[in-house]
Amino acid sequence: MRIVSVVAVMIAAVALQMAFARFTIGGRWSLDLVLVAVAFVALKWGPSAGVIGGTIGGLTQDALAGGTIGVGGLSKTIVGFGVGVIGSQFVVARSAPRVLVVVGATVVDRMLLWGITNAIDLGGRGISWVSVLTEVGLNALVTLIVFQSIEIMPGMMRRRSSRRSAFGARKW
Amino acid sequence: MIDIRRRTTFFFVVVSLAHVLLISAQVQTQSGMPLVENVAFGVFARVQGVVAGVSDGIGSTWRNYFALRGVVAENAALRAEVSQLQGQLQAEKAISGQTHGLEQMLQFQLSVRQRTLPARVIAGDPAPGALTITIDRGYADGIRENLAVIAPGGVVGRVFREPQAHAAMVQLLIGHAAAAGAVIPRIEAGGVVEGGSESPALRMLYVNKSFEVQTGDTVMTSGQDGIFPAGFLIGTVARAERGGGSTNYGLISIQPAVNFSHLGYVLVVLDPPAAGGGL
Repeated sequence: MRIVSVVAVMIAAVALQMAFARFTIGGRWSLDLVLVAVAFVALKWGPSAGVIGGTIGGLTQDALAGGTIGVGGLSKTIVGFGVGVIGSQFVVARSAPRVLVVVGATVVDRMLLWGITNAIDLGGRGISWVSVLTEVGLNALVTLIVFQSIEIMPGMMRRRSSRRSAFGARKW
Repeated sequence: MIDIRRRTTFFFVVVSLAHVLLISAQVQTQSGMPLVENVAFGVFARVQGVVAGVSDGIGSTWRNYFALRGVVAENAALRAEVSQLQGQLQAEKAISGQTHGLEQMLQFQLSVRQRTLPARVIAGDPAPGALTITIDRGYADGIRENLAVIAPGGVVGRVFREPQAHAAMVQLLIGHAAAAGAVIPRIEAGGVVEGGSESPALRMLYVNKSFEVQTGDTVMTSGQDGIFPAGFLIGTVARAERGGGSTNYGLISIQPAVNFSHLGYVLVVLDPPAAGGGL
């Protein structure tokens, strides 16, 4: 069941990534929803889920981007495992630590991609720090929104259902 | 009993090694994994078609019913028409320029007029920096690999892998490893324009230092790459530096003519240039 959830989250992230990227093609703004999803599954379900999510998300991105398949997969697998380990060793329950983890994950992912492409002599791009910074900012913002929504949602549903049951129990 | 943390670490190491082997296999064969790429693209092209349709549907419903009631639909249709007409105008200009050049220099016959097909952009980069787009036209519409893609402003890129029935992926000219045969018509200096640079995103290579390249010079496709027909606008020279000891220019930065951050509709040029043909 957990694997199904991880796969579903990753597929949704890739689809959303491509949908949002329609509006920022070739611009300086970049956002990696797949990375945010990898961090999300790793923090929620642990390092194994992070590894699975990173592998699925990274390989799918590689296959769609037309580059060497495995480069993004390896970097996101490492990031997923790392985030999962951090999530299981430290208390990462509040928004600020989560955002911090995603910020770190974004920088590490970019560095890994750069390192791997250069190590296998694929003529890798140099790192554009402007684009890394915008990606860090946008990923952090999305993380904040996603985690806050997920936290608020169950409480809202509970309050709504308890309000309804209170009305139902009242004798008119 | 195996410790769960050790099991997770073992799993991570195995998966990472599998990735390394996968990368090694492709680096050695230089062929990539076309089957995996095609399956992934096929699946996500359908998903993207639906997602783009839904998002456009929601957006257009909002705009049509709550804002302008139908004016936007008319505007979008007109914009698509203008985009197609501008593309045709570019094609005509390209033919005109090519024809004049041929008449003057080689007295060649008139080229065949290029047919174009308008397409909607339905998806962007699957990964940051990939610089690809997905369009809603595929092999069922006559699209095939390596056809040139243009926008009203100029050259956008090329179809870079086997298309699906109703979707194709386009590699943007500003992308890493993208290139096009180019010429600066004012001085008739040929070279190659490649993407992947920092601001501006294009640079021109192999231009001999004997030419006087100036800032503001127009750069067009030369047609010699067999993908982009001759005479389409690529951009303008932003900076030219001779530098270095080589016989070629050290740096020629090109400002792309197309605004790549706002690609709604593009045109696919259905007629590739004749082999070796160009300005």
